[in-house]
Amino acid sequence: MSMPTIQQVYFSICAALAVAGAVITVLARNPIRGAMGLLLAIGGMAALFLSLSAEFLAAVQLLVYAGAVVVLFLFVIMLLGPDAHTPRDKSVAAPRLVAAAGALLVASGGIATILFWNGTGRVPAFPPLVPGPGSVLNVEAAIERASGVTPAKLGTIEAMANEVYVAGLVPFEIASALLLVAVVGAVAVARGRQGEGPRRPAGEKSGSPPAPIGAMASAADAAAGPAPARRA
Amino acid sequence: MIHIQHYLVLGATLFTIGAFGFLTRRNVLVALMSIELMLNAVNLTLVAFNRLHAGNLALVAPGGRNLHHGGQMFAFFIIAVAAAEAAVGLAIVLALYRLRRSVRTDEADQLRG
Amino acid sequence: MHTLFAIFPAQQFALIAAILGLPLLGAFVNGVFGKRLGRDAVRLMALAALFGSFACSLVAFFMLRERAHELGHGELAPNPRLVWTAWHWLALSGRDALGSVNVDVSFAIDPLSGVMMLVVTGVGSLIHLYAASYMWDDPSFHRFFCYLNLFVFSMLVLILGDSMPLLFVGWEGVGLCSYLLIGFWFTEEKNAAAGKKAFIANRVGDFGLLVGMAMLLYYTGALDFEGIRRGAGGLLDPRGVQVWPLGAGFPSWLVGWLPDGIEKGLTAQRLAFPATLCGLALFLGCAGKSAQIPLYVWLPDAMAGPTPVSALIHAATMVTAGVYLVCRLNFVFVLSPAVMATVATVGALTALFAATIGLVQHDLKKVLAYSTVSQLGYMFLGVGSGAFTDGFFHVFTHAFFKACLFLGAGSVIHAVHARIHDTDASQDMRNMGGLRKYMPLTHATYLASCVAIAGVPPFAGFFSKDEILAKAFETKIKAHAIAGAAAERIGPLWTPPDWLGPLLYFVGIAGATMTAFYMFRTYFLTFWGDFKGWKVTPGWKEPGHDEHHGHDDHGHDHHEAFAPGTGRDHLEGPEPHESPSPMTIPLVILAAFAVGAGFLNATILGETLHAPELMTMEHWLAPVFAPSKGDVVVPAFDASHAWMLAIPGLIAAAVGIGFAYFAYVVKGGEPTRNIAARAPKLHQLMLDKWRVDELYDATVIGAVDELANTAVVADKWVVDGVLAKASAAFVGLFGAGLRLFQTGKVQTYAAAMVVGTLALTVFFYLPHPDASITSDPATGTFRVQAGPGLGYRYRWDADGDGKLDEFDSDGDGKPDDKFGPRDAIEVKLEPNQSKQVTLAVENAFGRHDTRTITVARPAQEQPGAPVLMPRPAPRPPPPGG
Repeated sequence: MSMPTIQQVYFSICAALAVAGAVITVLARNPIRGAMGLLLAIGGMAALFLSLSAEFLAAVQLLVYAGAVVVLFLFVIMLLGPDAHTPRDKSVAAPRLVAAAGALLVASGGIATILFWNGTGRVPAFPPLVPGPGSVLNVEAAIERASGVTPAKLGTIEAMANEVYVAGLVPFEIASALLLVAVVGAVAVARGRQGEGPRRPAGEKSGSPPAPIGAMASAADAAAGPAPARRA
Repeated sequence: MIHIQHYLVLGATLFTIGAFGFLTRRNVLVALMSIELMLNAVNLTLVAFNRLHAGNLALVAPGGRNLHHGGQMFAFFIIAVAAAEAAVGLAIVLALYRLRRSVRTDEADQLRG
Repeated sequence: MHTLFAIFPAQQFALIAAILGLPLLGAFVNGVFGKRLGRDAVRLMALAALFGSFACSLVAFFMLRERAHELGHGELAPNPRLVWTAWHWLALSGRDALGSVNVDVSFAIDPLSGVMMLVVTGVGSLIHLYAASYMWDDPSFHRFFCYLNLFVFSMLVLILGDSMPLLFVGWEGVGLCSYLLIGFWFTEEKNAAAGKKAFIANRVGDFGLLVGMAMLLYYTGALDFEGIRRGAGGLLDPRGVQVWPLGAGFPSWLVGWLPDGIEKGLTAQRLAFPATLCGLALFLGCAGKSAQIPLYVWLPDAMAGPTPVSALIHAATMVTAGVYLVCRLNFVFVLSPAVMATVATVGALTALFAATIGLVQHDLKKVLAYSTVSQLGYMFLGVGSGAFTDGFFHVFTHAFFKACLFLGAGSVIHAVHARIHDTDASQDMRNMGGLRKYMPLTHATYLASCVAIAGVPPFAGFFSKDEILAKAFETKIKAHAIAGAAAERIGPLWTPPDWLGPLLYFVGIAGATMTAFYMFRTYFLTFWGDFKGWKVTPGWKEPGHDEHHGHDDHGHDHHEAFAPGTGRDHLEGPEPHESPSPMTIPLVILAAFAVGAGFLNATILGETLHAPELMTMEHWLAPVFAPSKGDVVVPAFDASHAWMLAIPGLIAAAVGIGFAYFAYVVKGGEPTRNIAARAPKLHQLMLDKWRVDELYDATVIGAVDELANTAVVADKWVVDGVLAKASAAFVGLFGAGLRLFQTGKVQTYAAAMVVGTLALTVFFYLPHPDASITSDPATGTFRVQAGPGLGYRYRWDADGDGKLDEFDSDGDGKPDDKFGPRDAIEVKLEPNQSKQVTLAVENAFGRHDTRTITVARPAQEQPGAPVLMPRPAPRPPPPGG
């Protein structure tokens, strides 16, 4: 058995980190630990993006996921405090859900196997980034011949900017509108209906800070009538 | 050599782990994280296929001045949508908690027939 | 004038938009914002809309006169028209002879619609002015004017619409407004019921109108009036229309046992000309809208609405729409003498019948309502006799004097109502009297209109009514000669006997006598004698109005018997007083027209004196009625003959007025009481309006009720019981099963999604060798086309040797045994030959599958036989799979 190449080592380490992070995310009892697992998985995948010549995406992955999404998860977990923890969670998964998940696991593994080790020998290799037959550089040369412009390298900020602001400007603007709507919607949903909070006695000064979420929740419960009995 | 199937199998595995988590965990927060995992697995696949087809001249738009970036663009937009989804999803978690004082999915079954 | 024509060319006469739009705008503003605008603004809006529309109408009318002058006068002059096409509405296309028919939203002003337009906007303006004062205290002031403006708009659409569908829109629009305004004070059951009655009676008529429209479309191939006129000859279609037996014929079990003669007579086929049926159907519509027998019953009840409504809608304009329609379609009606005779006869009978009821009613507005029905009968007598000009002229004069009478009655009721706060009692003539000295202006105008309607020369009613009667006496409708096959199959057109005209004349004279009597009865009872309203206490109601209540005509006794206030003369309360000037000004203007309008068409004077300026209307309308002129036979004018015919009318007026004076002024009502006492049953019958309502209740309405009751039973047991409940139970059972799957938990749903995804994966993972066959029967070439799929590539065995053929799949010029993109092959077959073709498929995942398809060509004698479906052969094990 020959020595593994540096690419194989890099891929193996990153993949192992990603899978480990994913497993921690899914199995951790404590959601904070889960969020940390998600962070690990995201980092692993960002590293894999680098190996696929997606430098810009790797940066975005870290900024958006690690910097924003995971932090948002942590905020919510901390806002909920101990209630974010659901201790009975692991033991009561419905049998059919487990069965479905197991089937999915088996099926996806089987499919992956049959797909690419079916003996036909058509396993595609990545086209090389160095000069030679089948190289990406040949395509770059062809584009240069056709348009007289030297294209940017695959996955660089320059290349992505070209895609986002030239070819995909309209989808990009639509995405920005989507984000705006999401922000407004998130604020509206998270804040709840006005007047739902506990009624303040008259004379209390209006500038007092909003009631803690627990108090608001109990008020909401009172407004919604008797809550269904929880299973013990 | 690393071939496309390495990334695909890794993507499938991560997706399956995410799906498993979503199906079995009752903590809404964990379920949301599982969704993020699945989205990321798809992103990985897209980026890997982009790398595979970057050298395909047929995929470059006529008169295009850039290599083929379709997969990466998809991944880019998926990240944007995932961020929006996380924001709204967590807002819904807060609203659910306010209503039920719980973040368990099996207690939010008002749609039961 | 040139400038005006430059702005509004005759073919695109946009001024009509202003004439129509202003009332619509008024209706919109008053309807939507009226409540917030306040009374003053509502009044301003409504009056401005109407007066503006009237001003535009005047301009348009004078432009039309100019246009008519340009086109020349005389018999052969073309009909001057100012047309405005707003937009293209719809295009109907039919089969056979009925090519394509375009219906435009197009309006036209011609001499007929121009006069009508002036009447509607002019009289409408005056009545709006009157109503603004009359209705001032009503809490729903804005609603009233919204409806009233909407009515004027609809009426203008009816008049100006240049095609039957547009006329129908207006027709229904005025019907709706009439319904809304009759039930304006809908909180009272009686008023709401009256509105409903009017609406439903009109629906019966509308059915006829729709049928007539359909027949016009079918036989004349057009719906606009010009097109109908051009294609009117089609209504004498020689094929005829089978009117008996209905449907295919009688089944033999129904008639087979009858004696032969009777059976033949019963089952013989009878045909009629479309013109007759179409004319009758249209006349049914007219009878509904214009309150003729048998559909007149709604109009007297319609007096439940406010008095200005009675004046505008139920006297001056809407109810004359039927007459207008007959005039408009004169060339259709004259095609069938039978229809004309029907129109004239129904008109004359209605005139007489309604007059008899009017003789004995106590309610002032009821008398006027029956008078209106009666006068409408005269109009139909006129147009049915072929005297379209005179019939329409009666519409014109009637609009003035009847509007004046109603408004005068409203003025009286207004005054009496201030004294007696009860709707019924304040309209009862037995509570009036002596108002002459309190309301001099109302009295004078009412008198002028009474004289006009009674037919005293030289007032308007004399010229219009007596000309109708004279024409009815002497005019004939000439039947078109029918020749050829049509004459054999259908026979000639039916023509009425010669004595019909004179008979109708005498019926009309009898009605005119009664008219004079009952009109002056109301006049004397209301304005002469002493005011009896003093003795009526507030809230007093005539007892047993609808039950039989003796035979005396004089309500005075009732008061003494029932009113607790007997003997308390000069009770406190305001005296009756003259109405304010916004109410009297319209009265004066209308009365002036009632006096003078007759000279616009004083035929008898004009012919005698050879003064054509006295026959303006006749000349003016001549182009409109020119198409039917050839079918109407009018004897040459003979002065002595004409005056001979006019004298009985004069005598009738004199007798009626004289008897009324004698009975109510000289004898204080004694003679009429005596007559009533001598025939109590008859009097009671007349007082109960010949009990026609009761007859309808017992027959038509009773039958409908019974039908409804039967339907209720079926609905309850069959529809509700079996259909609804059984199917609901079945669906419920199904739903109960489905409920088990709806846990409400997100993750269950996600699991189901996973299962579905897995199934799809399996489907796509396995290749599916499907094929469809198309054939060319002429050459025997069969094309086998493989179905597409994810990355599918194919191999074929077309020669039937059991091995897959070699084919150049990669384009290198050499046949090979690889899978390639060739997804179809062609097979050539002889008749009765069949062949096995094998298809092998490889999909993107490298999986293989094969299928054997049998291609067979049928024997030659079945050309064009259906294409055979592929028959799947037993599936061989996938190679290497």
